Amino acid sequence: MIFLDLTTIIAQEVVLSSLMAIEGMVTLLIEFFEAFGRIEFPFESNYVLSIIYVSLYVSLIAVFLSTIFSIPVAMIVGFKNFPGKQFVVSAINTGMGFPSVAVGLFVLFLVSSQGPLGMFDLVFTKEAMIMSQFVLASPVITGISLSSVMSIRREIRDAAFAMGGTKLDRALLIIKEARYGIITAIVAGLGRAISEVGSVLIVGGNIASYDGTSITRTLTTAIQLEARQGKFETAMILGVILISIVLFINWIMIRLGHNRISGQWGDGF
Amino acid sequence: MSIISKINSKLVGKYKNISLDEDSVSFSEYLENKSINKDIALVDVDFKYANEPVLENIDLNLNKGEVLAIIGPSGTGKTTLLRLLSLFHRVDKGEVKFNGKDVWSLSERERLIIRRKIGMVFQKPNLFNATVHQNVRYGLKIRKNWYERIQSFVFESLNGYEDPKVIEKLEIVGLEDLYKKSSKSLSGGEAQRVAFARALAYEPEFLLLDEPTSDLDPRNTAIIEEAIRKARSEGIGIAIATHDMNQAERVADRVAVLLNGQIVEIGNAEDVFNNPKNEKTEMFINGKLVY
Repeated sequence: MIFLDLTTIIAQEVVLSSLMAIEGMVTLLIEFFEAFGRIEFPFESNYVLSIIYVSLYVSLIAVFLSTIFSIPVAMIVGFKNFPGKQFVVSAINTGMGFPSVAVGLFVLFLVSSQGPLGMFDLVFTKEAMIMSQFVLASPVITGISLSSVMSIRREIRDAAFAMGGTKLDRALLIIKEARYGIITAIVAGLGRAISEVGSVLIVGGNIASYDGTSITRTLTTAIQLEARQGKFETAMILGVILISIVLFINWIMIRLGHNRISGQWGDGF
Repeated sequence: MSIISKINSKLVGKYKNISLDEDSVSFSEYLENKSINKDIALVDVDFKYANEPVLENIDLNLNKGEVLAIIGPSGTGKTTLLRLLSLFHRVDKGEVKFNGKDVWSLSERERLIIRRKIGMVFQKPNLFNATVHQNVRYGLKIRKNWYERIQSFVFESLNGYEDPKVIEKLEIVGLEDLYKKSSKSLSGGEAQRVAFARALAYEPEFLLLDEPTSDLDPRNTAIIEEAIRKARSEGIGIAIATHDMNQAERVADRVAVLLNGQIVEIGNAEDVFNNPKNEKTEMFINGKLVY
């Protein structure tokens, strides 16, 4: 009897606390959506759109250039024997963990008026931001691509050679065989580039024009600025946009890899 | 003259007008004539791997339209010998000859032309992570120029395409229905048959088979052996490395016995198996030579 009473009390408590939890979550959601409605974007929505544009422009170009540079480097390091190879591999692995502010400082030195690229007047420009993101993304893309191409069995290359493949044919085949790893490398590089704050802040300067259009302000530097000014709602919305962009690009890349394996995209060149 | 045209003229100059001793036909054109190509040979070849001698004093030739079996115990250098014939490695001593011309004295471009006349099937299928059709078509694809490759890539991406040559070669190994399947979903026997079709697809003049049936069941072995006979009837010269003497007896016209990195006997299959001249050959054939 006592046991039954105890069970009933526990059950009632569980139901009650569940209801309270649900009520709490609903209240939180209502407050969130109310806050969303109250958000006042500084300088109208042009501000947000231009920030998204600058972020994507800088990161995609940096990652594109980085991919063009990194994949051949990974192939050469992976398959050629040369003196100092171990050192190069160590340097690539070390580069994956470069502190971004140090990279920003290095690029700022390069492009500053006293630096070797001073004549191009690149300080606080998108081009300088691309340079710093290139430096940050390249070791990530090279490192992951390297381990990916090295995991391709030698027999696969031998088969391509035996069929009359040239060096370029074999290299393309290896890239195709290692496509999952390479896609992962590109996505990781993009993740590193687009979520970067320190270096783009240093070399880009987080500049927006008087009418609110971003010049060198990216999603990350804008989030940092808005949060510092206490505009948490704007910062959160920008954060959600940033995460959505990364998720969307990830999804596209994964779909691309999936389609190519199932042969729906032809068999390459 | 622009930089591009300078580079172009240099490249063209490098590869054209490579004349043979007897006439002025370019070597590429000369090789394209299938009726001229007769044999590929190793002449007094030595080969070392990591300073360890693997093959010594190898004299061997493979003619078109014949099956040459290279028999010997495991680890005696059969695979290495085939790899030398397919130009994977440069020989340490001696010559690899194609139609009497030392292959390693030719340019890389000319060697590529020769390589493209030789097919090879390995002990393991080594299929690419792609569909059966894409695997078999690979050899055909890489023989196209870049313009054609990009053009067919775009066209096929939009419309899909089944190459009749691929289907024809898959028919030889009885797998024409599987052309859409991923290579990962094939059984070991099916994969090896696809590897065989892949080597036949670009119509090589010589085919090198490295223990192609060692991991296969009798049914798949029979299919491969039948495909070997068909390839021979089409004039392809075939070298098959095997430790299965029954198989060598079934398919080969000639047999070379490779023991300890040296060819101890070479001759007609019937003579080698029934009347071996070499004592070691006799012991090996009778299973008395233990390694």
